[in-house]
Amino acid sequence: MNRRRFLGVSAASALAGLTGSARGASAHAAFDLLTLAQPDLLSLIGPQAVRKIGLRYRALVPSENEVHALYTAILAARPWPSSIAGLVEQDFAIGRTMVLQGWVVSVTEARQSALFSLLSD
Amino acid sequence: MHIDARTLPNGSVLEADLCIVGAGAAGISMALEWIGSRHKVLLLEGGGLDYEAAMQDLYRGESVGLPYYPLQAARLHYFGGTTGHWAGFCSTLDPIDFEKRAWVPHSGWPIRREDLDPFYARAQPLLELGPYEYGAGDWQRRDPTLVPLPLDPRVMWTKMWQFSPPTRFGARYRAAVIGAPNVHLYTHANVCELEPNESLRSIEGLRVRTLDGKEHRARARYYVLACCSIQNARLLLASNRRTPTGLGNAYDLVGRFFMEHIEMPGGHLALAPSRAMNTKMYAMEFGQTKARGELALSAAVQRERRILNGTVSLEPSAPDEVAKSTFEWATPELLAAFREWEAHGRTGPPPAGLPAPPPPGSPLFFHLVTRQEQAPNPDSRVLLSTERDALDMPRAKLDWRLTALERRSFRVRYEVIGRELGRSGAGRVQLLDWVTRDEDTWPGTLSGGWHHMGTTRMHENPRLGVVDANCRVHGLGNLYVAGASVYPTGGAANPTLTLVAVSLRLSDHLKRTLG
Repeated sequence: MNRRRFLGVSAASALAGLTGSARGASAHAAFDLLTLAQPDLLSLIGPQAVRKIGLRYRALVPSENEVHALYTAILAARPWPSSIAGLVEQDFAIGRTMVLQGWVVSVTEARQSALFSLLSD
Repeated sequence: MHIDARTLPNGSVLEADLCIVGAGAAGISMALEWIGSRHKVLLLEGGGLDYEAAMQDLYRGESVGLPYYPLQAARLHYFGGTTGHWAGFCSTLDPIDFEKRAWVPHSGWPIRREDLDPFYARAQPLLELGPYEYGAGDWQRRDPTLVPLPLDPRVMWTKMWQFSPPTRFGARYRAAVIGAPNVHLYTHANVCELEPNESLRSIEGLRVRTLDGKEHRARARYYVLACCSIQNARLLLASNRRTPTGLGNAYDLVGRFFMEHIEMPGGHLALAPSRAMNTKMYAMEFGQTKARGELALSAAVQRERRILNGTVSLEPSAPDEVAKSTFEWATPELLAAFREWEAHGRTGPPPAGLPAPPPPGSPLFFHLVTRQEQAPNPDSRVLLSTERDALDMPRAKLDWRLTALERRSFRVRYEVIGRELGRSGAGRVQLLDWVTRDEDTWPGTLSGGWHHMGTTRMHENPRLGVVDANCRVHGLGNLYVAGASVYPTGGAANPTLTLVAVSLRLSDHLKRTLG
């Protein structure tokens, strides 16, 4: 099973656990879990590094150590830019960054990485 | 003309208008300025025209502070000085380097960057550099294929460096110096003591020794110490026959504020595919590249974050997870073929089996290597050792120290660079593990740039500096110091270009003074 397909299966089961209210709480339900769990970081630093970043974030922020909380946290960003990439850029611009496993990443990327790690565990 | 001091009768007296002690980049730059003038110039060099182990041993010393290179390896003691093995990296100090910065104790020069600009321009050809242009835009106009990263100038900029061939002053300027009728070069002439007059207000002469036991005197109207930061301080401190603390040291400043550049890797950069197509502006091939850029933080960010100046270079790499040395990935046969190909100057097609370049659309990985200034620190210093050299002169003892500001600046620099490269979409930065730790200690890999600065620092107030803005030693009317030892702060740029510029400025001052 390739990674994307594997993630697709994992995401489907994870999404099944999301409550309707959580999904409805966001005006951006168009962002499916699979998309959110595929940070652009993957193409830059590879899945192993992204997974380590995600694990570190989950250890540092235990309240977001599950799919639902991460999904909600990512989509709760305001003001909402036109894309996840825009959200990441906005994070960097306002200094909403973290240093995880040494990597300077945006908080959105950190959460995306956490999702990636959860769904690929 | 050139005379080996060992051939002089013992007790010879050498006389001139100007006596320059030390024939490295500073001393030779100055001497060249006086060729053809009506003034007689003595240029005293402790070593010979070429490297000699016995002369080099005179630079051996103790190191009692942070781990440091052997002192006899860090400076060369022969005609041409340390340009005999320098790498040729040149850049200017930034305007902020000359300012008094509230968060950097003891910072601030008594001159501004604009005061040095004309001398930087004059120093360029001496170091066989290109035009006096250090803007990324200047170089991009010359070569449109040099494209800087898309940085917000309020946060970061591309600081340009130029590369000297590198100029070996000893070889490059030997004929000019020796052929000058009014410049008298004496080699193997080691100045062991400065002799002040009765009132201790000027220098009357220099005691010069040779390894074969001869002792001479040098007398001049004006003297310039141009022996490098450690040796300038050593000579002033060791001239303690009349004043126990040495000359120019009324306020216990000589030897203090020794500074280095902290030069070591600090992180990695994964450069986005969209930017990876052209990194030529940041690349350097030794002996080929004329100029390249390094990443620097704006003065505004340095002020806001209260950090020291520094730059970061991009050195090609692979991500650590997949990095392997040539010896790991290559078969013995391929390795042999590769060596053969290199031995023949890489002519013809490369051997089959070499790794292919990354396909288009791949990220590029770089090591990020820092050069950072050190905050002036009175406890970082050169002292006299109890051990003596073959000329019976106390050896130098170096106590190199750093403060928490250097450590914090190192970390913050990478965090800011990481944010800005992330914001611009250029890529992502990873800090090395030790950099991320909020500690004051340094790893075992701590290393300097082999740059020595600051032991006779420049300040208008004699209580705060050894020399004044004209490089004259406070309290001594005819003694000057040339070289990086006069730097109050070291900035991020390697010191040679600036020390030549400062020496040319001093030379102009002395020409006006001598008339």
